[in-house]
Amino acid sequence: MKRRQRALYLAPAAILILAFFVFPLCYLIFISFYQWNGLGAKTFVGLNNFRYVFSDPVFQTALKNTIVWLAAALLLHIPFGLLLALLLNRKPQGWKFMRVMYFIPNVISTTAVAFLWYFIYHADVGLLNNLLRSVGLENLTHAWLNSIETALISNMVPFALYVGLTMIIFMTQLSTVPKELAEAAKVDGATDLQIDLKVYLPMLKPAVITNIMLNLAFCLRTFEYPFLMTGGGPANSTMNLSLYIYKEMVGSNRYGISMVAGLVTIMLGLVIMIAVNFMQRERGKRREI
Amino acid sequence: MKYNRLRPARGLLYLFLVLVLIIMLIPFIWLLISSLRPNADLFHEPFAIPKTLSFDNFKAVMQSHPMVRYFFNTVIAAALATFITIVSAAAASYALLNRFRSKGLWVSVFTMCLFVPTNAFMVPYYVMINKIGLYDSILGIALVYAGVNLPMSLMVISGYMLTIPGELLESAKIDGASVSQAFRRIILPISKPGIVTACVFIVINSWNELLFANLLNQSDASRTIQVAIRSFLTTFEANYAYAFAAMVISIVPTIIVYALLTDRIIGGMTAGAVKG
Repeated sequence: MKRRQRALYLAPAAILILAFFVFPLCYLIFISFYQWNGLGAKTFVGLNNFRYVFSDPVFQTALKNTIVWLAAALLLHIPFGLLLALLLNRKPQGWKFMRVMYFIPNVISTTAVAFLWYFIYHADVGLLNNLLRSVGLENLTHAWLNSIETALISNMVPFALYVGLTMIIFMTQLSTVPKELAEAAKVDGATDLQIDLKVYLPMLKPAVITNIMLNLAFCLRTFEYPFLMTGGGPANSTMNLSLYIYKEMVGSNRYGISMVAGLVTIMLGLVIMIAVNFMQRERGKRREI
Repeated sequence: MKYNRLRPARGLLYLFLVLVLIIMLIPFIWLLISSLRPNADLFHEPFAIPKTLSFDNFKAVMQSHPMVRYFFNTVIAAALATFITIVSAAAASYALLNRFRSKGLWVSVFTMCLFVPTNAFMVPYYVMINKIGLYDSILGIALVYAGVNLPMSLMVISGYMLTIPGELLESAKIDGASVSQAFRRIILPISKPGIVTACVFIVINSWNELLFANLLNQSDASRTIQVAIRSFLTTFEANYAYAFAAMVISIVPTIIVYALLTDRIIGGMTAGAVKG
């Protein structure tokens, strides 16, 4: 392939990347020094936008909540996906059917899922409160999305529960583990649990890293759950970075502020990517030894 | 004896797996049933076994809103985005099969983009699409979808193409095939599974996207189904039954696609994602 031909084949993708990743990033960096309402003239304000954002308690909550989302991915979502993958890997009858069913929520839009759970949490007609009432736990009923203590957790439950994609990625990796390993362990008298922990788990590191990357990226982008279920409330207790970016732009017409928050989100993504890459490299080193 | 020892553990395993399945899917079944019930029933006995089911909510939603229009808007946005992304990703993956000096740079740029939280680009995308006069148009929304879905498609398609043996390209070259002939006649047909997987993902992502569709939309001319669903909650604050029907309408197409292409989605999804 000659140089010119190669350029031709790379051009469409390169243009898209330039237009939708490189240019927007440069735009964020430069315009974040301006005060702008989206319509009129832009006024250069130096670091004022940055000062404002970092001292804004709402932004601090948004940043904190985004980190809580990331923690939920690492501590709830990924372990649960791993558990289901390991259990289905024992090939109980009907495991293929279950695999297909577990994945269904992942093809349904987050918009629909968020609304659905909004109704599930609904204080009067909601599934959850009615369920509690019907089993006599009347005093546990709660306005789940309207109280500061439960709103954020309620936002995260669907994410923690719908682990289809994460599970499939684990299962794909599990299917590449040679069967002889598990069989040999079984002959030596290992229990199913021991085989999972000692044979399969150590082989899953690449899938763990892929899942960490994908889920952390997802959490940085999470928008629909807080936007549709609580609108960031009550008292901003479910605000996250995506919603903050959106509200500053669409709600308050403060484009400069919105872009500073966007930059912070990108930096957070960058830090995560570098950290995970570092983990990966460490893994590579150990393998060489 | 071994049989007896294993039996209770198996039973527990099943119980757990089925319980998880029920907890995951009950909300969707509840949604489906509720969409077939009158609003009044929902308020009085939301949890009861329904006595009558009807499609009245669906009829009412279809009559009061141009749902067909929203449907088509979404289909066109998804189709355009898929076409643009797949052509770009397939061509670039083909170029990346060759060895050249800046290849490493391209691969790392593409990989980095995979982890950029594109929500951060709300303002730039909005300004860009406005500047080129595509605000409130399907093409504008489709372009953004094409852009944000490109890194994922590149990963899937490029990952698939890398599994094609190099000798195949070599022998095509020896037989006198030009660069474009080798691409169209050999590489593209072989890469079909990877390309289909990427297609399915772009279609589902585009169908389900809310944020940018909402940001770039003003009128019915470019309203996608998800944006319509969102407006339902504000318009039909009291009429949950209608909102449920609208949600079911938005969900059904993705379920059909999933049902038809289950193997492709589940099997092909991780092509290139899990490299050991």
